[in-house]
Amino acid sequence: MSALMSIKDLVVRFETPRGSLEAVRKVSLEIPFGTSIGIVGESGSGKTVMSRAAMGLLSGSNVRREGSVHFDGKELTAMSPKDVRNEFGTGMAMIFQDPMTALNPVRRVGSQIAEGLRVRLGMDKKAARARSIELLSLVRIPDPESMLRKFPYQLSGGMRQRVMIAIAVACNPKLLFADEPTTALDVTVQSQILQLLSELRRDLQMSLVLVTHDLGVVANNTDFVAVMYAGEIVEQATTTELFANVKMPYTEALLKSIPNIEMKGGTRLPVIEGRLPNPTDRPAGCGFAARCSYVQAKCTAEHPPLVDAGDGHLYRCWYPLGHTIGRKQ
Amino acid sequence: MVKFFRQVDWFTRISAGWLLVVAFCAIFGRFLPLVDPLFSDFDALYVGLFTPGHWLGTDTNGYDVLANLVVGAQTSIMIALISVGFGGLIGASLGVISAYRRGRFDYVVNTIFNIFLSIPNLVLGLALVAVLATSSDPSMPVSVGRRITVIIISLTVVIVPILGRIARGATLTWVNREFVVAARSMGMKDKDIILRHIVPNVLPAVYAVGFLAIGVVIVAEGALSLLGVGVIDGVSWGAMIARVAGDYEFAPHSLYVPVIALAFTVISCNQIGDYLRSRLDRREGKI
Amino acid sequence: MAGSGSAHLRNNDEVVLDVRDLVVEFKVGGGRVVNAVSKISFDVCRGETLAIVGESGCGKTTLGKAILQLPPPNSGDVIFEGTNLTKLPKEQLRSARTAMQMVFQDPISSLDPRMTVHDLIEEPLWIWERGTESERQTKIRELLNNVGLEPDLVMNRRSYEFSGGQCQRISIARSLALEPRMLICDEPVSALDVSIQAQILNLLQDMKDRYGLTMVFISHDLAVVKAVSNRIMVMYLGKICEVGSPESIYSKPAHHYTSALINSVPIPDPTRKRTTAPLQGEPPSPVAPPSGCRFRTRCPAATEKCAAEEPQLREVTPGQFVACHHPRV
Repeated sequence: MSALMSIKDLVVRFETPRGSLEAVRKVSLEIPFGTSIGIVGESGSGKTVMSRAAMGLLSGSNVRREGSVHFDGKELTAMSPKDVRNEFGTGMAMIFQDPMTALNPVRRVGSQIAEGLRVRLGMDKKAARARSIELLSLVRIPDPESMLRKFPYQLSGGMRQRVMIAIAVACNPKLLFADEPTTALDVTVQSQILQLLSELRRDLQMSLVLVTHDLGVVANNTDFVAVMYAGEIVEQATTTELFANVKMPYTEALLKSIPNIEMKGGTRLPVIEGRLPNPTDRPAGCGFAARCSYVQAKCTAEHPPLVDAGDGHLYRCWYPLGHTIGRKQ
Repeated sequence: MVKFFRQVDWFTRISAGWLLVVAFCAIFGRFLPLVDPLFSDFDALYVGLFTPGHWLGTDTNGYDVLANLVVGAQTSIMIALISVGFGGLIGASLGVISAYRRGRFDYVVNTIFNIFLSIPNLVLGLALVAVLATSSDPSMPVSVGRRITVIIISLTVVIVPILGRIARGATLTWVNREFVVAARSMGMKDKDIILRHIVPNVLPAVYAVGFLAIGVVIVAEGALSLLGVGVIDGVSWGAMIARVAGDYEFAPHSLYVPVIALAFTVISCNQIGDYLRSRLDRREGKI
Repeated sequence: MAGSGSAHLRNNDEVVLDVRDLVVEFKVGGGRVVNAVSKISFDVCRGETLAIVGESGCGKTTLGKAILQLPPPNSGDVIFEGTNLTKLPKEQLRSARTAMQMVFQDPISSLDPRMTVHDLIEEPLWIWERGTESERQTKIRELLNNVGLEPDLVMNRRSYEFSGGQCQRISIARSLALEPRMLICDEPVSALDVSIQAQILNLLQDMKDRYGLTMVFISHDLAVVKAVSNRIMVMYLGKICEVGSPESIYSKPAHHYTSALINSVPIPDPTRKRTTAPLQGEPPSPVAPPSGCRFRTRCPAATEKCAAEEPQLREVTPGQFVACHHPRV
């Protein structure tokens, strides 16, 4: 069965005066129909650049994109920007981290939702208004009629995020990218929004790509998880498999550093020392070698390839956890 | 300086180059071996360009155009620099303090700014000059020095609210940043906060616009002269224009030359101001 | 929900910060008033870390700033080490501030972008004319080392050249320059990646131990404060809901809001699915808070009594205080 979106060997490079910056290095990912995928990584891992590049949203004279992005039977990289834009709304859509800057502050909520409906689906004013009210109820906004006339600054963060979701799903896209949708929100609102996204996905039969730095968010809201580090995918598996059988030390360290509400108070949190390698100057071997507690000689010398553990669980490590050599003594 | 010339595009290079030439004339003009600008050469009334002895020709009074241009640069530039300098200093100080303090002081200052800004620049300048430069005895003309002083004062008044608004707006964006609260929480005095934190961040916006203002003031001086209240009988670009305004068809070059010089200078100022502003934007973008 | 209950105040010699009946209100256009902090009292003992937890808009940040009199509260007293800060004249207040410092939420905007790291950390010393030139140099180096930054690499650079986590370290180093006795941290890790959060939280713990600090830690994330706090105070819409030790609050939350907050934290374990979001709706506007208990509009256990009468803080288990007519415990 063909996937909804198929990304193969995607490379994104930024040409800067200081040299070529490879933000995304040969990433391949399959997004099946009707599933939810999490892409997890720290700031600078390339996850946001990758999702924008996949949608064709990266612009700029110094951006170079290579590889193939196949969406719904069409090859996006071969299409003109105008044709790619035609896919937005009805094919794919994106919601962003900061709803305040993603919404137009000088236009009313109603007109922002209706815009997509009228331009993409050709609805007239009355039909668009009725559909807008439907959409606002879909995203659980109380009193949708009066919401239509409000401006974004009059809304709270959670409300704005819901409005953004309403705009994104207005034309029933098949694929929704959510780029750190809850990072700027309080915990209580975060769980509401995540739950809303899950329900929408099921009801509208969309695929959802959840891009985040928080493994806690993906644990309960995704079917598959891909972990990115320094521009590459370093581990990929079904969510249950990833949490049960972590293979890559980076993923393990990431898991351990989350402040867990169930651990004993007053304990020191395990940390990942150091920082992401500078993208203009990447080491020859494994990008995580300098920070890995299980590092061996081979790790700094050779770049590990992505291997399949057998059941679709991919990892990029010479000495994955569970391997006898390299286990910390 | 050399690094600057290498980094920027050709248009900015030309602008900077032109401004340097103008500055040179303004500083050294009087020492150059030129004809006395106010010497009426009756043998060479309104001769054309490239006449030996008068390379840019003369006007209907026999004044050498080149000499007037070079020496006049000093007056025009001096008027512009002083007006913008003082206007900027006063305006920016008022703008920064009022935005920092808010409350009634801000309200009053802002209203005063708005009142002055609502009067078209030239009308305001005209009114001030007319009032300040009129002597009580109508038969006695006002001295050139007094005229120039009056022009400077009136243009300063025009510039104060312009740069004041800029400074105030810039201050408002900085005053709520957390590092200002942090400074207060460390026990810093307000005066120090303004001088060490606010002013250095606001200054780039002010001098970027200040450059544009220099161009505006140079033109204003010309306009005032044309209207008869500028430096009519002295040596300045405005004076040059004013003198020939009536009968320029006899010596059109004597009008075109100062006008072109004025235009180049204003364009160059705009370009440099724009360049400064884009440098500023790029740095702000990192924040 | 809490009013000005004082059952939880300890009134002993160890109390370093004593806040009584604090009220902070803001005027917003149209004659309306935002009741950010409504008559709150609490205390902090020497060496303790008090965590103030609540959603955005509950007034916790305003409370933190009001303790430092930035700006001074509308009414109430803040007594620090015996001195009533609200009654101090301007000059004395300025010097009293050196004993209490604050770490802010947004690491990048809390540092002046035009100053080098060296100047940023030297500034407090410069204001109070402490130390000679060489003494200051030594101190700055020592502070940078303590927060995990290499002095020679960072001293001459500016804040925009660093990541969020590094900026926060610089901010912490700066706040320690005057050797304060109390540190107020306003959401210090909210703007950082989860993996960096752990580093900064550990750093704050280390600094607390090294300098013998008393801390007030403000956050919206219960999981984050569990690791660092000795005592937790939960706020909602300008009032206190519950005060207690981490053990009692996390294992047996007495207030319904506390329980909802705990249940909202995502658990990084896909086998533990949660089907509904624990708390629906949004907090009401602080301009017109509900009568009686302010939480009653979202509380599953609300009755008529909750609308009529504002609950006061009372002890339900030893050391645990709740302001609720129908506590869970």
